Amino acid sequence: MKYVISLLTAVLLIASCHRDTQQEGSPVIALVVKTLNHPFFIDMEQGARKAAEAAGVRLVVQGAERELDVEKQMQIIENLIETKVNALCVTPSGSKEIVPAILKANKAGIPVIIVDTQVDQQTLHSAGGSVATFIGSDNLEGGKLAGQYIADRLQGRGYVAILEGIPGHETSDSRLKGFRSVIERFNAITIVGSQTANWERDQGYNVFQNMLQSHPRVQALFACNDLMALGAVEAIAAARKTGNIIVVGFDALADAKVAIKNNQMAASVIQYPSEMGRLAVEHAVTLLHGESIPAFIPVKIGLVTKESLLVEESQKK
Amino acid sequence: MNSIAAYGRSFGTLLGLALLCLLLWTLTPHFLTVSNLINVLQQTSIIAIVAVGMTFVIITAGIDLSVGSVIALSGVVLGSVLATGVPPLIAGAIALATGFLCGLANGLLISYGRLPAFIATLGMMSLARGLALMYTDGRPISGFSDTFRLVSTGEVLTVPFPVILMGIVYVTAHFVLKRTKLGRYTYAIGGNEEAVVLSGVNVRLYKTAVYGLCGMLCGVAAILLTARLNSAQPTAGIMYELDAIAATVIGGTSLMGGEGTIFGTLVGALLIGVLRNGLNLLGVSSFIQQIAIGSVIIIAVFVDMMLKKRSR
Repeated sequence: MKYVISLLTAVLLIASCHRDTQQEGSPVIALVVKTLNHPFFIDMEQGARKAAEAAGVRLVVQGAERELDVEKQMQIIENLIETKVNALCVTPSGSKEIVPAILKANKAGIPVIIVDTQVDQQTLHSAGGSVATFIGSDNLEGGKLAGQYIADRLQGRGYVAILEGIPGHETSDSRLKGFRSVIERFNAITIVGSQTANWERDQGYNVFQNMLQSHPRVQALFACNDLMALGAVEAIAAARKTGNIIVVGFDALADAKVAIKNNQMAASVIQYPSEMGRLAVEHAVTLLHGESIPAFIPVKIGLVTKESLLVEESQKK
Repeated sequence: MNSIAAYGRSFGTLLGLALLCLLLWTLTPHFLTVSNLINVLQQTSIIAIVAVGMTFVIITAGIDLSVGSVIALSGVVLGSVLATGVPPLIAGAIALATGFLCGLANGLLISYGRLPAFIATLGMMSLARGLALMYTDGRPISGFSDTFRLVSTGEVLTVPFPVILMGIVYVTAHFVLKRTKLGRYTYAIGGNEEAVVLSGVNVRLYKTAVYGLCGMLCGVAAILLTARLNSAQPTAGIMYELDAIAATVIGGTSLMGGEGTIFGTLVGALLIGVLRNGLNLLGVSSFIQQIAIGSVIIIAVFVDMMLKKRSR
C-alpha cells in the first residue's frame, strides 16, 4: 500500500508543479488541440501562449495522445467545462464527432472558437449548437495552389498521384477538392492513383512505394500533409527516383523545408499555425469583453518553394 | 484462499482510488462536484464495460487484443443499419450480434483451432479493423435519431444511461462469475485447464462462450460510443484493448489466470478514469498523463506480487 501512496504523492507533486503560476483571478482560456505530439499544434500552442501573455489571461492547452481520438478529445472538453473556463478554443479531431462536445459547452454558457478544422455545419445546426467563429486557413485555396503549381511544372501534361489524409476529415477533403478542381481543367493530366496514408509518415512511405510499383510513370505527387510527403520522399529515394518526381506537400514543416532545399520536395503549402493560435486567443479575449467577432476569420496561406526559401534567407541576412 | 487474496488486492486498489480522490479534492475545487463525478463515471463507462469481458477472458488465462477493433466494426455496422432507418432496438441487437460473432470466431479459433489466444485475437484485431474500414470506405457514419441518442443523452435522476448500463453490466457479470456454472468453470479453466478437461467438462464450449461474451460486451460499448459521439467511426477504439487490460490488471486479476474479481475491475477502470479526469482538471499535459497511467499499472501489479509473496 505504501507504494501506491508514494506513487500518488509523486504524481500529484508533478501535477501541482504544472499548475499555472499566474494569478487565479484572471480569465482562463482553454485551447484543445488534436494532439500535442505534432509540430503544427506545437506552433499553434506557442502562438497562443504569446498572445495570452500579452493579453494577461491564463491559457490551458491540452490535447489527446492520438490525433484521431475523438472520444478522448470529448473527455478533455467535458473536464475543461467542469473547471469553468471562460472560453474554449478547439481544433476538432472529427468534424461531426465534435458536435456533442460543443453542445455541452453551449449548455454551460462557454463560448466556443473553432480553429484549423471546420465543424460540419449541417450536423451542428441540426443539433442546435453554435460556435462563435472559425479561425483557419482556407484548405480549398491551399489545394488549388498546389494544383496550379503542379500543373505549371508539368506544363499541363503528365501523370499525378495523390496521398490523401484521413477520409471524412474536412481538412483532407477540402485540400483534395481544391487540388482536383484545378487538375481536372487539364485534359492531358491524369490522376493515376489517390490513396489515403492517414496523415502518417510511415504510411506515406509504404503507400507511395506501392503506387510507384503500379504506376512507375508518375511524375508528380500531391500529399495532403508534409508527413506523408516526407514518407513518400524516402520511398522515392529507395526507388532511386529522387528529383524525377515533383512532390508537393502541405504544412511547410521544418523537415519539409529541408527536403525542399535538398531538391527532394518541390513545394509545400504553408499555413500559419502560430497565427491561428494567436488569433484564437485574441478573439477569445475580444469575446470576453462582450464584443462581437466575425463568423470566419481567414488565416493567410502560401506556397513554399526553393526560390521562396532562398529569398527568405537572403532577407534574414 | 485465492479469492480472499484477490479481494484483498481490490481493497488495496480501492484505498488507492480513495486516496487519489482525496488528493484531487485538495488540489482542485472542481473535482468533488456532483457534475464532475457523474462526468467521470460517464467517461469511464465504455472502457469499464469492455473490461468486464476482458476480466472473464483473462481469468481463463487468455487475452483478447481485438476488443478495440471489434468495437469499431460493431459500431459501423450499427451506424449503417441505423442510417437505413431500422428501429434502434433492432439495430442495437445487430451490433451485439456483430460483436458476439467476432468473439465467437476468436473462441472457436482458440479452443477448437488450438491457436494461442494472443495470436487468434491479434489476427482478429487487424481483421475486424480492416472490415470496418472496408465497410465504410474509411469514412465515419454520422447523424442518428434522437431516440437512438437517448442511450447516451438520457438520464434517470441525473444519472446518465451509460452509467446505469454500466451498473447493470457489473451486477450481472458479478452474479454470473460467482453463482453460475459458466463463472465457476471460468475460474477453473484459468486455474488448471487440464484438470477441468479430465473431470469431463466441455472446456472448449465454455472457453468459446467466454470469448463470445467478451465480443458481445464490445457490441454494448460500440452502442454507447456511437451514441455519445453521434458518429460511428471505423477508426474508433484504437488502443482500447490496452485500457481494458490495464483496468483488469490494476483491479487484481492475474494474467496467469484463475483469479480476479469483477468488483476489482470496476475499481481499476475508475482509477484510470479518475486519474485522467484529475490530470485534465489540473491542466497537466497528455504526456505526463501517459507516464502517470503507466506508473500506476506497474505499481499495482508490483504490489499484487508483494502481497502474494507475503500470503504464502
